[in-house]
Amino acid sequence: MSRPEEKFVSFDIDGREVRAPEGAMLVDGAKYGDVEIPVFCYEPKLGPPVGACRMCLVEIEGIPKLQTACSTPVKDGMVVITKSDRVQSAQNAVVEFLLVNHPLDCPVCDAGGECPLQDVAYGWGPGRSRFIEPKRHFKKPLELSPTVAIDRERCILCYRCVRYSQEIAEDHQLVLLERADHSFVGTHDGAPYVGPFSGNIIDLCPVGALTSVPYRFRARPWDVEEAGTVCTLCPSQCNVTLTVRDDNKVLRAFNRQNDEVDDGWLCDKGRFGYQTIHAADRVVHPMVRDGGTLRAVPWERALSEAVAGLRKAGAGTAALVGGEATNEEGFLLQRLLREVLGSSHVDSRPSGRLEGEHARVLARPDLSARVSDIDYADVVLVLDAEPVDEAAILDLRVRKAARRNGARVVVATSRPSSLDANAEAVVRFAPGASEAALAALGAALTGGAGLDDLARRAGAPAETVRAAASLLGAAESIVVLWGERLSHGARGPQGVAALLALMRSLDITGKEGSGLIEIPSSTNARGLREVGCLPNLGPGLVPTAGEGLAAADMPGAVGEDISALVLLQADPLRTHPDRQAWAAALDRATFVVAFTDFLGEGVLEQADVVFPAPSYAEKEGTITHPDGRLQRLRQSIGLVGEVRPQWGVLAELAAALEDKPVELLSSPMATEQMVAAVPFYAGVTLAEIGGRGVRWQDRDAASSLAAAELPDGALESPPELGDGLRLGTVLSLWTGKVTEHAPVLSFLAPQQRAELSADDARRLDLSPGDVVEVGFDGTRVRAVAALRDAVPPGSVFLVEGTRTDNATALTNGAPRTVEITRVPDAVAKGTSLPLAADAGAADASTSVAGSAEAPPA
Amino acid sequence: MTYDPGPDVIAVQRGPEPGGAGGAYRIFGETLRGLKTTLARVAEGPVTIEYPEEKTPVYPRFRGRHKLQRFEDTGLEKCVGCSLCAAACPADCIRVVAAENTPEHQVSAGERYASVYEINMTRCIFCGYCEVACPFDAITMGHDFELSDYTRSDLIFTKEMLLAEPLERTPLRREGE
Repeated sequence: MSRPEEKFVSFDIDGREVRAPEGAMLVDGAKYGDVEIPVFCYEPKLGPPVGACRMCLVEIEGIPKLQTACSTPVKDGMVVITKSDRVQSAQNAVVEFLLVNHPLDCPVCDAGGECPLQDVAYGWGPGRSRFIEPKRHFKKPLELSPTVAIDRERCILCYRCVRYSQEIAEDHQLVLLERADHSFVGTHDGAPYVGPFSGNIIDLCPVGALTSVPYRFRARPWDVEEAGTVCTLCPSQCNVTLTVRDDNKVLRAFNRQNDEVDDGWLCDKGRFGYQTIHAADRVVHPMVRDGGTLRAVPWERALSEAVAGLRKAGAGTAALVGGEATNEEGFLLQRLLREVLGSSHVDSRPSGRLEGEHARVLARPDLSARVSDIDYADVVLVLDAEPVDEAAILDLRVRKAARRNGARVVVATSRPSSLDANAEAVVRFAPGASEAALAALGAALTGGAGLDDLARRAGAPAETVRAAASLLGAAESIVVLWGERLSHGARGPQGVAALLALMRSLDITGKEGSGLIEIPSSTNARGLREVGCLPNLGPGLVPTAGEGLAAADMPGAVGEDISALVLLQADPLRTHPDRQAWAAALDRATFVVAFTDFLGEGVLEQADVVFPAPSYAEKEGTITHPDGRLQRLRQSIGLVGEVRPQWGVLAELAAALEDKPVELLSSPMATEQMVAAVPFYAGVTLAEIGGRGVRWQDRDAASSLAAAELPDGALESPPELGDGLRLGTVLSLWTGKVTEHAPVLSFLAPQQRAELSADDARRLDLSPGDVVEVGFDGTRVRAVAALRDAVPPGSVFLVEGTRTDNATALTNGAPRTVEITRVPDAVAKGTSLPLAADAGAADASTSVAGSAEAPPA
Repeated sequence: MTYDPGPDVIAVQRGPEPGGAGGAYRIFGETLRGLKTTLARVAEGPVTIEYPEEKTPVYPRFRGRHKLQRFEDTGLEKCVGCSLCAAACPADCIRVVAAENTPEHQVSAGERYASVYEINMTRCIFCGYCEVACPFDAITMGHDFELSDYTRSDLIFTKEMLLAEPLERTPLRREGE
């Protein structure tokens, strides 16, 4: 399906001639004539209207009965009356009926003051009720889930939440139970409604029946102010509105609809993750290591120690940049390293090396799709990524495309995906064999030479590859969501080459509304690459004179070429492969500076200077969406504690190292310098970015990207699969600080799970729930065995980034085979047996809060 | 030619010249006439109210210091922390932070209660809108008007201060007084 063209028709409403887009519902069409028709159940985001609440009744000339404006499309020449006595008495009656069972508890209701029912009752209601009988009663308030409270007495049965659960999130958990005035919303088995997107029903509810547990009774609408910014907790970069009280406390986050980014939805991580901003154990003072422990010190002391340490290390400084850093921060850090310290060891990717040529080709404007292209794509190909875990909101987008616009979904992943049920073709390849799978898809598209061999190397049945390729080949427009993971590891460049070769055989640059959207491994991955946080590429993806070491090579060089490490909101022990190497490297490094908001184990044990990092609600700057949209972070609250803006600290460090006065005085100045350094951002101003962002590919300056054509050389032959149980590591939406430091989400904190097939479990004599150790040689990770039908035999999956038993202990960028052994029950019952390989680090993680010294009062 | 002021000229009528009978009248006659009123009041006795030892009684609807009310039978607070008073307040001097009642910690009769309730008396204009807005008659205007203090921060009245029985230091005007 291609993007529909907009055609306008004219119709008459309340005696006024109005032009509105053809096919728009009367409710929306009326807005073009500044006529408001009251609604409850109508919500365009939920898809086709249902006409359940009857609030929108209007008179249409030629039709004897009143019609629902939410489900009647405008037609040319239609004559609509919204203000006649008939309409008014119908509206009065509907409001009166809705209020029959609605309690009058507005003063204690969280929705009071921002409640559509209040507004409509005042605006279109009769003003009095004739109902004196007792109202219906339910037990209240009940927790529908640990994050959402339900008050069934207030429910007006508009179906919005049920429709959302059935048709948008497609988790099919919420249903309407019972009949007539006994109806109530609930899950069919009474279990809590838990899902990655469950919080959206709070926003959808037009009354106060569904309220947020953490926001419950915190404030009324007139006590708070709203601040628009962008959530930086995952690469989806959803636009959010933060509810701020007293200028210093974020009380709530909800979506700020931007159809080009989030379609008006927000995941629970973004909705409730704001609690980390005010977590009690957040780092809000600069600290230095003093006698073995970190101690809060004044800024001057922390800065001077950092300057002394970095000056000593000079060109031996390496830096890791985490995804929460803004473009400005990344730019200033790479400039600090390259121009002040003379080092090129800066990397924002966790693993592997991105070839400069590949980086530039991948950035080509004609090769990148915009998020809204997913809606209208013929085929959506999900490549080695799990959208719901890695960029949650794109999962809803793909489901919408499939459900409403008939897009065909092709999933090519090693782990069973939540989109499998919506997919028309599924290619399930062995963990780590994405390169071979891409090559096999390419071969199937170009005639099938060598397909069987490549499919064998990918560990995927050749017929599934053929089925997927035939769908791809026939498509008029294709949007490819590819996981950055396939460019990781030692064979990352070959993986990207295979991806580009596949794109070439699909002729994706020649197709309208087609392209790639990367699902990166960290929030601002694209922006950080484009501003120069890569060891081989400077700002604007331009090759640099000296090539630095990539993240994967840094641990080996610590102690030789590298003596100091700068961690800008990065925690290599959590997110980078080869945990042991990083732990040893941090130990060997003579000087470690960390910018962080929470003391991870590496920082706690090894950092010499810790600077408190501002949260996204305190930051000012820009970030770049995976589809190239520059978005603006706006400071929403005052800086917490003694936190200083990160761009300012980086500028101060650079100035002190050069013995110059600080010249960078404000965040817009930093933006200006960053924009000036990246040719294809040229001329972007904060005003142009505004509240909705701007894609740099849509601007004239995009032509200054010197990108080559898609390479057409022959691909290297991918490696053979190893024998044995192959380990795949996956990301989870719920790892990281959100579940560890936001109280309301802590129930979602993932435990290490070893997902394996029933065949393998039988062979290894494991049953679900057994405690197992997964590993090789001496390195082992403890996990709970979980059987999953869809996992192909021969694969086992672990979660990356968990607090204990992190799967990164087993990865080093290369495909890995592992053994699984059962832990005897007696041993398993003993509390947290530390990992054999890094017992010390595991101990540290359990006492994170304990050993950091409290700041002086 | 001399200047002719025209018909705008007003002839000033002057009083008697000083001295003589007119002057004597001015000194004694007029003064005594004024003193007549004063002397007539002497018989009534003094009407000065010796504030602060003595106080003017106030009318029953006088709007003085606020009071937060409790239910007499249960002792629970009437305020549910709905913040409508803060919304109604034209001086923006009320701050309410609500919290949820639990069975172990039941503060008010409803689901929520005010965990923080502050009125900044330096800003309050005693308009009484908060009392009007309150859906539960939880806040009422009292009769106390003696609110001066030495520091501004002491004039931010907390919930405990507002709930406490105020000192009865203002006499109420009786019926017909």
